[in-house]
Amino acid sequence: MRYVISLLLVLITACASNLQPEVVAETPVCDLPYSRYQATVTGYCQEPRANFAASVPVINKSITIKPLAKIPEVFWFHKRMNYSLLKQDAEAPVIFVIAGTGAGYDSAKMINLQKNFYQQGYHVISLSSPTFANFIVNSNNTKYMPGNLAHDAEELYNVMKLVWQQVQDEDQVVASSFAITGYSLGGAHSAFVSLLDEQQQAFNFEKVLLINPPVSLFNSVSILDQYFDLRNNRQASIAMFDQIFERFSDGYSAQASSNFDQDSIFNLFKNAHLTEAELKLLIGASFRMSSSDMIFALDASFNSGAITYKNHEIDKFESLTHSMQRASDITFVNYFEGAMLPRAQQEDANITKDELVHRYSLYAIEDYLKNAEKISLVTNADDIILAPGEVEYLQDVFDERAKIFPRGGHCGNMDRVSFVTHLNATFSQGVK
Amino acid sequence: MPMFIEQYYRKAVCIVLSCALIACSATPKLEEGAIAPEVKLPDNHQELGLMSAYADPWEGFNRRMYYFNAKADQYVLLPVVDGYKKITPDFVEVGVNNFFSNLGEISTFINSLLQFKIGVAGETLGRFALNSTVGLAGLLDVATPIGLVEQDEDFGQTLGYWGVGAGPYLVLPLLGPSSLRDVTGLAFDSIAYQQAVDELGMKADEELFLSLLQSIDARASLPFRYYASGSAFEYENLRLLYLKYREILIAR
Repeated sequence: MRYVISLLLVLITACASNLQPEVVAETPVCDLPYSRYQATVTGYCQEPRANFAASVPVINKSITIKPLAKIPEVFWFHKRMNYSLLKQDAEAPVIFVIAGTGAGYDSAKMINLQKNFYQQGYHVISLSSPTFANFIVNSNNTKYMPGNLAHDAEELYNVMKLVWQQVQDEDQVVASSFAITGYSLGGAHSAFVSLLDEQQQAFNFEKVLLINPPVSLFNSVSILDQYFDLRNNRQASIAMFDQIFERFSDGYSAQASSNFDQDSIFNLFKNAHLTEAELKLLIGASFRMSSSDMIFALDASFNSGAITYKNHEIDKFESLTHSMQRASDITFVNYFEGAMLPRAQQEDANITKDELVHRYSLYAIEDYLKNAEKISLVTNADDIILAPGEVEYLQDVFDERAKIFPRGGHCGNMDRVSFVTHLNATFSQGVK
Repeated sequence: MPMFIEQYYRKAVCIVLSCALIACSATPKLEEGAIAPEVKLPDNHQELGLMSAYADPWEGFNRRMYYFNAKADQYVLLPVVDGYKKITPDFVEVGVNNFFSNLGEISTFINSLLQFKIGVAGETLGRFALNSTVGLAGLLDVATPIGLVEQDEDFGQTLGYWGVGAGPYLVLPLLGPSSLRDVTGLAFDSIAYQQAVDELGMKADEELFLSLLQSIDARASLPFRYYASGSAFEYENLRLLYLKYREILIAR
């Protein structure tokens, strides 16, 4: 997930134009007051960060899935699907890593996972989420909406087979076995891909790990939608944004240097004293940015005309501001009811909303999850995307294969010591 | 500003401002049969808050320039930067970066005086004096470890401090996001920078080398990559962030 503020901070850091230190010697902990929302926004910085290699030999790769001429001109920068490979020198196990909602193969969370698995001796292949624009516009699919987990899994599986062929041909990767993991929505995708693989057996995964997955996609996005409610609460949300910026600005004014480092970022957050409602707003806004990107990519590819002109080819120099403004209003629930449900009903006229909600959840493959020994789960008891009862549900389904940390919010502890230790313990057992 | 593009700027910016800005359009050219988007915009544009906080009258030009910059980055700047990083050891890169940062202190100093920020001016002067001497003409940054921290002031901020608004958003060739006010500031700062370089008493081709090196260093130290966000709205996001960021800097 991307965050408005972290974007701002990245920009500020960039503009401060000092060379970034290659290695961060100390990994400081912060003294922010803990909450599940804080951990989701800033990371669970109360716990020390795990040691990752400063740099790893990433090979950025791309593959043609859909004829490039069919990709809309406005997405000229997305011609070919991007992914990355980290390659071991010799034969080794391969792990596919799937990004979360709206995230690319090289998002910050993906990079940490990549480094860690590479250090553990894996060939690492990282793929973008099927909800990420680069994935959407390169997909041949014009029928199903992303979020349809079973269909997303088919798309992913197809891409994985093509990518696997490519890295064998071009990079001479030799696999001893296969594993798959993903965080957030990518976690749910991993489970559905694994089920598909049971039938098609292209990879025969030895290990599958779900990291902070949603149980029910609909429940999770409903929660996130509420954090940023422009339709019912426009004035208040906008005023709150201005206040947040103002406080960050004040904090920055008060700081001695104009430069930024890890400490000063934590300090800014500390001095901004963000309330729970404000943290939620940041999370919700960041989620909305992701879903806006997704909806735009779908509109451009499917000619669905929700936020763009229908039957109009968007020029690459054309203003998209109006589409962005329109998208900012659309909640995921709107998208579900206005796009996903009608699409599904074209296939099967009798399907109801409740049935669809069930289909796009782990409940739909519960029997498989209960019995598949290869699948394990790691999440946090206070993950914000889980509705009441869902943590217990996960514990029940995965039983001994579940590891539930008490703290960390949504994916806030993925780069922290105890999480990484657990990750490595999981993958060192039984993988050859 | 790098000198090798400076001359180009003096002329090009004028031409650009006078004609191209108005000539290019960003409004959609709708085909017959095009249907308006289903989701309507609020009637009152202010209700959009941050997302309509900044007008962009030169959007047509800006978007074309943004596209040009992305391409130039891909085919020219980044390959050069990669080559530079490959052939120079890290400590050389850091030294070069320090050297140009040190020259940049001059305009920070002038601009903090112009904003009556005496403390900032004093600190910057201290840094410049120390780094230029003990720091071997600025190759080493010896001031930061002893608590004289780097500041960031430019003439765009000075103008902002004295109440000049940002004016229209402007995407500059190669340099990227700016505004009418900030590009004016840039011209002023580059004069100050040029004065400093003249003091070094270099020959023309040495100066050319220096400005090339400065351009490479400037790009190398900026981690931004076009469309790395993957978002079709990157232009919009960056416009908002740039203008907001400048407001924050000016308030500082």
